Amino acid sequence: MFLQTLFTGLSVGGIYALMAVGYSLIFSILNFSNFAHGSVIMLGAYMGLGLASKFGLKLGFVVAGAMAGGGLLAVLNERLAYRKLRHRNAPSLYLMISAMGCSVFLENMVYVTIGSRFYAFPEFFTRRVVTFLGSSVSVMDLFALAFSLLAIGALGLFLARSRTGIAIRAGVCDMTMCSLMGVDTDRLVALVFLLAGALGGLAGTFMGVRYLVYPTMGWITNKAYIAAVIGGLGSLLGAIVGGVILGIVETFISAYVSSILRDVFSFTILIALLVCMPNGLFGKSMEERV
Amino acid sequence: MRRALVVLSCIALLATAAQAAEDLIKVGHTVSLTGGASMWGQSEKNALELLIGKINESGGVLGKKIVLISYDNRNDPVESVNVARRLINDGVVAVIGPAQSGNAIATAPILERAKIPMIVTTATNPYVTIDKDTGKVRPFAFRPCFIDPFQGTVAAQFAYTDLGAKKAAILYDVGSDYGQWLAKYFEEAFTAKGGEVVAKEAFRSEELDYRAQLGKIKGLSPDVLFLPTTQKEAAMAARQARDLGITATFLGTDNWGSPDLIDLGGSAIDGGYFVNLTDLSDPDIQDFAAEYRAVYGKDPVLPNPVMAGDAIYMLVDAIKRAGSTDGTALAKALEETRDLPVVSGKITVNPEDHNPLNKPAVIQKVDTKARAFVFVKKYEPGD
Repeated sequence: MFLQTLFTGLSVGGIYALMAVGYSLIFSILNFSNFAHGSVIMLGAYMGLGLASKFGLKLGFVVAGAMAGGGLLAVLNERLAYRKLRHRNAPSLYLMISAMGCSVFLENMVYVTIGSRFYAFPEFFTRRVVTFLGSSVSVMDLFALAFSLLAIGALGLFLARSRTGIAIRAGVCDMTMCSLMGVDTDRLVALVFLLAGALGGLAGTFMGVRYLVYPTMGWITNKAYIAAVIGGLGSLLGAIVGGVILGIVETFISAYVSSILRDVFSFTILIALLVCMPNGLFGKSMEERV
Repeated sequence: MRRALVVLSCIALLATAAQAAEDLIKVGHTVSLTGGASMWGQSEKNALELLIGKINESGGVLGKKIVLISYDNRNDPVESVNVARRLINDGVVAVIGPAQSGNAIATAPILERAKIPMIVTTATNPYVTIDKDTGKVRPFAFRPCFIDPFQGTVAAQFAYTDLGAKKAAILYDVGSDYGQWLAKYFEEAFTAKGGEVVAKEAFRSEELDYRAQLGKIKGLSPDVLFLPTTQKEAAMAARQARDLGITATFLGTDNWGSPDLIDLGGSAIDGGYFVNLTDLSDPDIQDFAAEYRAVYGKDPVLPNPVMAGDAIYMLVDAIKRAGSTDGTALAKALEETRDLPVVSGKITVNPEDHNPLNKPAVIQKVDTKARAFVFVKKYEPGD
């Protein structure tokens, strides 16, 4: 049971991590919490669902399509809702409120256009299970975990090695300086949103495959946001570690203590951690965090 | 002068409208038209409109036509209370619905204070018609469906006798009256038969991942896993259970009976059994089902349309016998309902608890390949 619980915790935490990276990426460069990310994830799931059930595409194409769609949606979201605010140097609180508005808007758009019905993805690997020391993991879960690690790894490599990646990291340090040095900050921000949105589309698809697709599924990103805060908002490594920790802690509490007390425990950990380490595990300097 | 004419004609129009309203009997309907239970809600509304249309065509009741006022309660207890208040303001003579026990329990005291009878459709919790605090019957609450202790007993009996299960596990939604009580009734009945409930695990509404609880259940290797949940939760639990390698037979309750159980659960839910109020192959409901298909071009989503049909016939009969639409007189007439032909057969209300007497239950099996719920057997109370 211990091993089974650990596997489940890792798989839950993997999804949290994937979603938390999107929050952290945008926070790192714009210093605000993009609460519309949950809706991008939800719409990513719907896009993946459309590709899988309407066009009958294979999982690889579905994932690629949802990533592209999620990325474009996030860019569009930034262009329409945040860019003007940024140019006027609005406080990050305003950006966050705008993000909340976007989130409610997108969720209700789905209610109006697609409806409140629940949908399930077609079965990609007809319920195949791998057994390891008496514990079972589904093939789909393994695939999701591997692909998520790959995507996050590729993102890390891109940020560390490529020219554009260096520009993003420079922007994380000092946006104003970056623009003085001749970096097109609008393009930079758009690129960051593209990356975060693509990860959101990926997370949405995997979530939809594992659970179901419905308008309020973005709700679970609250947990991912908490994971990002635990890890330290703005830190990619922190988002991953925070996600995995939260997933494992939750699963172990559900299995060994009580599933009803699960959130009581996870939020206690959050509060205790923030009291002791206000910047989270990997957070850097003390700034205005909203 | 012209203005005076306009005002006068407006008054005249209002007067005719008021006149028309007096020839109508307003029946309220509180129903989930959006959200997870909307499939049944929509079908319930369709059925009521169909049957009320028929009643009106044949002259209505007491020479008056019935109008249905349906409001969406979004399957939410707070919203259900709001809907009940709106219906009272609209001047309805009685209310049909809600379909869910939690919503019905929230609605009952509001309508009781207004002295308006309610006939719930599929709310199976005992405390819909019985006041939990006083233990007395609620004078204005009625229902055409069986109640959860019976449903839980049927499920336990089927598991123990027909499936030969000795060990059972339960996974239920701790935030739902329905699930919580059914878990309790099943446990009591299964233990009384000689079986053992090895695990009773809960999750909270809106949660998606049950694998922590299921992992625990897996280690105890039960023969059946009882899931008294909505169809979407049952579907997710079934998929996650099979992913963890749990081989137990899934067993559910009347909430499962929606076609999207098969869409959402896929191959994982195949071979599961559940207790339901009616079955599409029940000879009693064939005429109704055929009419429904003719008008709406698809099968009714059982059991709600049938239960709503029973409810409207109970109400019409009560209005006729009471000779008025006064709430207290209606409640008294409803209490005296005897051998009334309704959609699902015949109904007699037990005046002690306002539940129907001798309401049978059916067991259905989920067949995902045929995309159907296959009739397995029928239980009569006292079996």
